[in-house]
Amino acid sequence: MAEHHPFDPRSPGHGYEAEATDQEHGHAGVGKYVVVFIALCVLTAISFAVGNSQTLRHNSPGAMWAMMMAVSCAKAMLVILFFMHMLWEANWKYVLTIPASMMSIFLLLMLIPDVGRRTDRYAEERWLYAAEPKAEKPPGEHGPAPAHDHDDAKHAGGQPKH
Amino acid sequence: MAHDHGHTAVKLQYQPALPIGRGKLCLWLFLSTEIMFFAGLIGTYIVLRFGAPPGTWPAPHDVHLQEYVGAFNTFVLICSSVTIVLALEASKQNQAGLSKFWMVLTFLLGSVFLGVKGYEYNEKFKHGIYPAKPHSRIYEKPDLYYVQGVKLSLAKRRDSLAAHQGKLQQDGKSLPEEKANDLVVLNNLLTNLVQWTELKAAREEDTLARKLAMDKMAKAIYPHWHQGKEGDEAKELYEASLVDEERQISRDLAALTTDLQKAQADKQARQAEVEALEKQSKPPEKTTDASPANLSALQVAAIQNQPASEGSSPASATERKTKVLAEMGRLDERIAALDAEQKRMNGRLELLKELKDEHVTKDGLAHKYEHLRLPMVIPSGNMWASTYFLLTGFHAIHVLVGLIAFVLVLMYKLDHTKSHILENTGLYWHFVDLVWIFLFPLLYLF
Repeated sequence: MAEHHPFDPRSPGHGYEAEATDQEHGHAGVGKYVVVFIALCVLTAISFAVGNSQTLRHNSPGAMWAMMMAVSCAKAMLVILFFMHMLWEANWKYVLTIPASMMSIFLLLMLIPDVGRRTDRYAEERWLYAAEPKAEKPPGEHGPAPAHDHDDAKHAGGQPKH
Repeated sequence: MAHDHGHTAVKLQYQPALPIGRGKLCLWLFLSTEIMFFAGLIGTYIVLRFGAPPGTWPAPHDVHLQEYVGAFNTFVLICSSVTIVLALEASKQNQAGLSKFWMVLTFLLGSVFLGVKGYEYNEKFKHGIYPAKPHSRIYEKPDLYYVQGVKLSLAKRRDSLAAHQGKLQQDGKSLPEEKANDLVVLNNLLTNLVQWTELKAAREEDTLARKLAMDKMAKAIYPHWHQGKEGDEAKELYEASLVDEERQISRDLAALTTDLQKAQADKQARQAEVEALEKQSKPPEKTTDASPANLSALQVAAIQNQPASEGSSPASATERKTKVLAEMGRLDERIAALDAEQKRMNGRLELLKELKDEHVTKDGLAHKYEHLRLPMVIPSGNMWASTYFLLTGFHAIHVLVGLIAFVLVLMYKLDHTKSHILENTGLYWHFVDLVWIFLFPLLYLF
């Protein structure tokens, strides 16, 4: 360690040695990874069971989807925190991840009125040539409906059939 | 950081960037763009899927997607995430050999993932599910375009087979049995399924009946019954409609057979009349030709009296004969038409018997005659295929890039000086795993 090249990632101040010390008392050993691995497997099994449950699919598909997404988020958090070492990183992690996450959430919110509700204002003639059959709407919802707020929009998109 | 290394006199505590290695910083920046990229893709998928009118989005089984295959792939990726983390740990502890072992394992697991993906893609392609038209056999609605599509596809096959058969016959050979069977099947489907439906769709006055006929054809080819009560009900309804149609056709056929018999009897009567008329117009000739002297005066008188009493002189008999012959011609036409109709109905009855077969009602003709590659109706199927191939395709490309990175990493001796490379590769690989964590339930289980 005679000289430190400024571009060397292992030079001091670039977090490498901090990590090395972390390793000693922070996340020692393989055991933690094995636990995370088992947790991931169990969570996958849960989402598989939930997704294949016909009763759940019939009675409350919304709950089924919510459960699967919750499981996916849990799995994602496990991977990010332990496998990607985010649990032990310094505060710089927020600089990179929070803006990206915010922008992706914005993107989703933009897509809902634009694409997700695209069939809401189809004219009758448009339905004749639409690839999708017309959905049965409860009476009174025809015609250009007044603008709903976002929450409503999200709901209408994810409304279960039947 | 005052206790930093003591051998330089001047210490500049300059922190130009985030306190991480440049490579890692770049990789995280890259990953943050990747987060947005996949958020866009997944978001579009979610919005398209739930924005599709209720009940139209294909269930996994409609599009030959098997959940357990996806679950297996999820498991493979989780394992690979663990192995690459273990490789990093080993490398940090300067165990280059162990690290290499874990990396090779990671590489193998990634390859398994891609292999399974390839198998799944092949399954789709085999069933005519492609993201775009020239290969895709997906139609979204059972309409006239669909009927025409099926007709075209069948006729193409039939014509090429028939041409082949013609060529072989010239050489005194015949089609192999399998192909000859295909030809029979193709002709059967073309007349009794497609043409029948076409005529129904053209002739029926009731719009609903037209729609139902085309719907029935689509269901006969590719039923994709949903699991559960709803699917069972739909299937029962379809089976009942087959039985109904069979009964209806049998009834029509009985009426038609009586008509046919009547027409044939009419024709026979006319035939007899013509024969009688021929006898009537001929005998005089015969008699005059043979021996007019033999005719008794009485006979001559009778012949001469005939026109007066019955109005059928040889001339009017000929007239009558032409008239009867014309009637017979019309009857012949009618009989031919009735005959053809009878054949058509019998053919349809035969096909209905085939359609009523348990396997055909369950999986459809598309499954029974898989090699004929029948076009099929999957509502929202094209949108499904587009999103499925886009999402899994981009993910698979990322996996491929990861595998290339692994190969590059494996060229180094993976001791502790290289652990930052391993760390960055690992971060990328975990991200790929992360994307799949969301793709698996969204594509296979939703």
